[in-house]
Amino acid sequence: MELTTDVTNLWSEGDLNKFRRMTLIWGATVLLLLPILASLGYFMRMFQSNFFPHMRPEWFYAVLTLHSLGMVGTWFVGGMAGVSYLLTQYTHPSLAISKLNYWGTLVGVLLLVACTLGGLFGTGWYFLFPLPLYSQGVWQPWATVTFFVALAVLGLCWTIWTLDLLRAIAQRYSLKAALGLNYLLGKPGPDVPPLVLISTVSLIVSFAGFVAAVIVIVLFGVDALGYAIDPLLMKNLTFFFGHILVNITMYLGVAMVYELLPSYAGRPWKTNRVVAIAWDAVLFLILFAFFHHLYMDFAQPRWVQTFGQICSYFLAVPAGVVSIFGCLALVYASKMKWTLASVLFFLGIMGWGVGGIAAVIDSTVEVNFHFHNTLWVPAHFHTYYLMGVVLIILGFIDHLGLEVSKLQESPPRTKAIITLLLLGGYGFLSMFYWAGAHSIPRRYAVYPNELAQGTLYARVAFGFITVLLCGILLYLWETGKRCIKAFSA
Amino acid sequence: MIQMHAFYAFLVVGGLLVLIFIYVAASTRHSREIDFHAAYAVRKKFFFVLLALILVGFGLTLGKMPYPQENQVPDKVVFVVGKQFSFGVSDSPITNDQEYEAATYAAPVELPVGALVEFRVTSFDVNHGFSVYSPNGDLLGQTQAMPGYVNRLRLRFTQPGRYNVFCLELCGMGHHRMRGVFYVK
Ligand code: HEM
Ligand SMILES: [Cu+2]
Repeated sequence: MELTTDVTNLWSEGDLNKFRRMTLIWGATVLLLLPILASLGYFMRMFQSNFFPHMRPEWFYAVLTLHSLGMVGTWFVGGMAGVSYLLTQYTHPSLAISKLNYWGTLVGVLLLVACTLGGLFGTGWYFLFPLPLYSQGVWQPWATVTFFVALAVLGLCWTIWTLDLLRAIAQRYSLKAALGLNYLLGKPGPDVPPLVLISTVSLIVSFAGFVAAVIVIVLFGVDALGYAIDPLLMKNLTFFFGHILVNITMYLGVAMVYELLPSYAGRPWKTNRVVAIAWDAVLFLILFAFFHHLYMDFAQPRWVQTFGQICSYFLAVPAGVVSIFGCLALVYASKMKWTLASVLFFLGIMGWGVGGIAAVIDSTVEVNFHFHNTLWVPAHFHTYYLMGVVLIILGFIDHLGLEVSKLQESPPRTKAIITLLLLGGYGFLSMFYWAGAHSIPRRYAVYPNELAQGTLYARVAFGFITVLLCGILLYLWETGKRCIKAFSA
Repeated sequence: MIQMHAFYAFLVVGGLLVLIFIYVAASTRHSREIDFHAAYAVRKKFFFVLLALILVGFGLTLGKMPYPQENQVPDKVVFVVGKQFSFGVSDSPITNDQEYEAATYAAPVELPVGALVEFRVTSFDVNHGFSVYSPNGDLLGQTQAMPGYVNRLRLRFTQPGRYNVFCLELCGMGHHRMRGVFYVK
């Protein structure tokens, strides 16, 4: 099978420049949001440290909601923007749709800020049915409506974006080829870069997730009109969507590493049969792993629980044996050029692995019985977010800024950034893990007397977050300079 | 305590992974060509080791799911209802708001040491998380309190004392204050 178009004909120089500028705007926006959203996390740990004894707990829950949805959204769009930029080497994603998404995302975020900080809407990031409809007077109906409008705007824009990238890939490769079918069957076909394969898998899955999200939003409306909806069904749909969104973001980061790390290591990282099998297995397993969010719903059929554990465990195989092992083999004894970007990529894959181990442990039903909704849960997902995909996207932005601005980086400052991020980040996480292992619940504005050690752990975490924020600010200073130069170039 | 086993398992495996990353990073000081067939052979071994670990993991844990076993008969049944922002825990069924109110004000339920207790857990409004904390503050087990469903949680208590119930599913502004209590004697 032949590719339908030649790469060189895909883009004119001017269009490519415009796309690069748009990517820099996305990057700058992500860089702006990071310290703001991180400060909200800082605030929460301070609240849990009892630093604000007179503040109403409603504020904690509203900030929890804004922090988490803001972060999940920011890194999803960061991953999408990065992947679309890298895809321009092989395909033609639409610039107009990227722009539409920029404005749509901005509107969605403003609405979220309004309903949480303005309206104290505080259901946490997965707004579990029917909590949004039972506010106890804390948030008003307008806040609930605003929240769902925000979700609808974001969901609509992101679905369009997902479909456009799939369209771009399909036009050049056909989806079958992009899923590596030729490799699976051992038939001749076009070379599919891992970036394309992984993006295709991720985009198909995230489309399925968005469909579920739309159903959830509609069913909320149906319930509000007086037709009772089944809460267990809603919880299944919610986590189908939530689990996918979070995992896809990680995969978008991994796709970027497959694409960019080889240029630093001076070795190729190509799709072959094993890589194709691995990612197609992910496409299947990821659809069912979400059942591990419902282990403590004993009403769920027993075989579903078993199946959930099996899928969750097996997800570790493609991740570990193919992607993490592949990254290590790529770097091992290579002529690696260690720069801020490549160190961040490498550490990002490590964070993915570390968080994954904690996740697999918690996806054991017997263990989850003791860990579900303790701080172990934010511990593991902050590991593969904060120390995983966030580092990768920060690496990507720096990579792009350097590539365009042609500035030099300062090795001592790079070292300082990495040291602060690692020390602050893993220190902050260690308190989540330790607290989780000591039965401290997640999402508690204030810890009850019987669990007062939770307050102590929050205070230690406060110290580490201070270090982490210094690292983030230093990174912003360094990379910000490069991005500004790149943008004016 | 299973939590600490999990924590140490995580430290060991996670630590190993970090060491491998450090080792690989350090290897780039002396670069050389590597034989990709050798790398594939290592990968194959790793695949089988991981597969074996996963199968052992299933063998050790799939049989120990905390769900009620139909062939076991509980010695005692306790009824639990969650409602913003308290748990009603009672010896007798709680079917309406009055009974729920009464249960939250009544003297705490007392359970015999060593008995297999079944908690029948539901909610009258949003989702809550019914969790049982031992007198030393260890989370012994939990189940969701979901409106419209009754989740049956079975536990056997060997240690006498005061057991706290906390809410483990975000349920609104009073989530962290939502609790219940019972005694084991
Ligand atoms: C930058 C440093 C960060 C800090 C200091 C921080 C801090 C926190 C804290 C204290 C909580 C509440 C934990 C609890 O008691 O349940 C939390 C929750 C959460 N954070 Fe972060 N976080 C950070 C980064 C991130 C990132 C990068 C993400 C990426 C998506 C993220 C997503 C979330 C989510 C989804 C929740 C759970 C919200 C819920 O329970 O509904 N955070 N974070
Ligand atoms: Cu509750």
